[in-house]
Amino acid sequence: MQMMVLTVSLVLMAVVALIFVAAVRSAGIEQAPANTDRNRTFLIYGMLIVGVVVTAGSLRQWPHAISSSTETVQVNATGYQWYWELDKEEVPIGKSVIFNVHTKDATHGLGVIDPNGRLLFQTQAMPGYVNQVEYIFSEPGKHQILCMEFCGIGHHDMTSEFNVVAK
Amino acid sequence: MSDTKLAPQSGAIKLTMLLAGVVFLLMMLLGLVMRAAQGGLIEVDPTLFYQILTAHGAGMVGTAALTGAAILWYFVGRYVPLVAGIYWAFLGLFLLGVVLILGSIFIGGFGGGWTFLYPLPAMSGGAWQVTAAAGFFLGYIAIGVGFLLFYLEIGRKLISTYGGISGALAWPLAFGNGKVEDAPPPTIVAAMATTVFNTIGIVVGAAVLVCSLVNLYFPSFVVDALLAKNMIFFFGHVFINASIYMAVIAVYEIIPEYTGRPWKTSRVFAIAWSLVLLFVMAVYPHHMMQDTVMPAWALVMGQIVSYLSGIPLLAVTAFSLCVYLRGSKMRWDLASSLLVLGVAGWSVGSVPAILDGMISVNKVMHNTQWVPGHFHIYLILGEVAMAFGFMAWLVKEANKVELSNLDRAGLTIYILGGAGFTIMFLISSALSVPRRWAVHLEQWMLQDQIATGFGALVVLGALIFVVRYVHVSGDTTN
Ligand code: HEM
Ligand SMILES: [Cu+2]
Ligand SMILES: [Cu+2]
Repeated sequence: MQMMVLTVSLVLMAVVALIFVAAVRSAGIEQAPANTDRNRTFLIYGMLIVGVVVTAGSLRQWPHAISSSTETVQVNATGYQWYWELDKEEVPIGKSVIFNVHTKDATHGLGVIDPNGRLLFQTQAMPGYVNQVEYIFSEPGKHQILCMEFCGIGHHDMTSEFNVVAK
Repeated sequence: MSDTKLAPQSGAIKLTMLLAGVVFLLMMLLGLVMRAAQGGLIEVDPTLFYQILTAHGAGMVGTAALTGAAILWYFVGRYVPLVAGIYWAFLGLFLLGVVLILGSIFIGGFGGGWTFLYPLPAMSGGAWQVTAAAGFFLGYIAIGVGFLLFYLEIGRKLISTYGGISGALAWPLAFGNGKVEDAPPPTIVAAMATTVFNTIGIVVGAAVLVCSLVNLYFPSFVVDALLAKNMIFFFGHVFINASIYMAVIAVYEIIPEYTGRPWKTSRVFAIAWSLVLLFVMAVYPHHMMQDTVMPAWALVMGQIVSYLSGIPLLAVTAFSLCVYLRGSKMRWDLASSLLVLGVAGWSVGSVPAILDGMISVNKVMHNTQWVPGHFHIYLILGEVAMAFGFMAWLVKEANKVELSNLDRAGLTIYILGGAGFTIMFLISSALSVPRRWAVHLEQWMLQDQIATGFGALVVLGALIFVVRYVHVSGDTTN
């Protein structure tokens, strides 16, 4: 996911930048007037159509969906300045795992990192609330928890870990 | 001065821009210290790092807003008479706020971040006292009151001169059968829109600040954390965006001097600004996409409006600028180059911003270095470039348009540094590096170190712009 987003971003950024470079280059050169209004209308409708497609595609499956099945594994994670408490040290691979995330003090953020150092998902730990996030792990091994919301001077020390095991 | 048009209070504005240029430089140095610390190049105690982070965030956002406001005041003054005393009160309150904020951070030890996320300021884990947090809040409140005064004066004059808020927003042209000839100039439309949304933003910010302040001294006065977060991000989003939307006025006013073609309020322009007014306020839930307790509709709205916000920017502002440039007799000097750069950087920066505004992307990009990555693009290469461009224009000699070798060098260094610096953030984010971490893991440090090099170039470019401003303005006043 991350590499794809980075690639798409850099490509589109380059396109926008090149359009400006082209405009700057052509400044001061006499040109036949372009059909500005029509081009602008095309651009607006083009952006709208792309927007509808991307929005529908990316939201058709609700990214925060939580399954109501009883077949899930529940993990309660609590943030404190500056450590995490998890009520499980192991979760199974290939099964829905639901993290119920809360905090006893400031706001924290629970981010889960796979054995390759890749952030898989995150959610906030907010005073007075329980944020839920569901994930199906596909890779066994040590997973790290990082704090993803600035919570004071121990923010970067607020790490923990758990194991994903084949069952 | 480059022309004889009405330029009231240009002394106050020149002074403001001098202060702002120096503060930008100092804050950039603080930024460089953070990046070098993340890269393991220097040793910075985490407590100090988070104080610097707080100072850099608050200082940069505040200074960006200050430069945007100065640009707005300067050009609105061409159309309506403004009371100079209000501007001085605004500047005085701003400086009072700066003193309180710096004192609370570097004397009081406050390091709760520029977003002062409730209830962190009251829960420092021993790092700072309640008084430090209170000083920080009072500093913000002083600045907020200054801005409210500022907008009161602007709003009052625009409303009485242009037929109410709707007249100043060119609604007769946008939504009725008003004529282009009768519409207010772009500067007025932009000033009215920013006045409306930033006033609302600041009032919401003041409300949550006051609640947080009471909570500091009476912990039993508990605020709903989710509500507080909504209010903080509404305020923060609106306020930083307002700085860019105010600064772009410099583009509307100055670029026509170089192309010889006036920038007029068209129907598309008027509609675009009314949409901006709406979108800037409706988009803030994209900061809360990982609060799964938020109502789903709000997050969906955040995603959709994030995308839609790109349309007035790209299809109206950026598109129009490119049209103005093409085929015009555009002439280049430092001012016109930086102003065009500002719109380009802002547009380029909107790409990663929109991507991060998608819930599924946000799940793995939120609060990673993607966030500083995208906003540094449209701040360093956007708002700040426009501010430096305005500064260069303020001191330029009439009828002289040239790009000296030093100007060229400054521009090249600044653009190269800014692009490299921000792309390194994006790359770090793709490698899952969280933002706001005082200490980085070994495997993240290479990107941090490269970024530090690029950051140094940004500082050097900015130094050239500021020194040139001081030097040239000294020449023209003597
Ligand atoms: C040489 C130029 C600059 C450098 C080296 C720099 C560096 C940094 C660094 C290292 C961070 C922290 C990143 C992290 O979260 O890990 C940061 C955050 C930030 N910077 Fe900059 N920066 C520069 C220019 C600017 C400018 C021009 C602005 C605005 C006008 C700005 C606004 C901010 C803001 C708002 C934050 C967020 C603070 C927070 O997370 O609380 N920076 N910068
Ligand atoms: Cu934490
Ligand atoms: Cu944290």
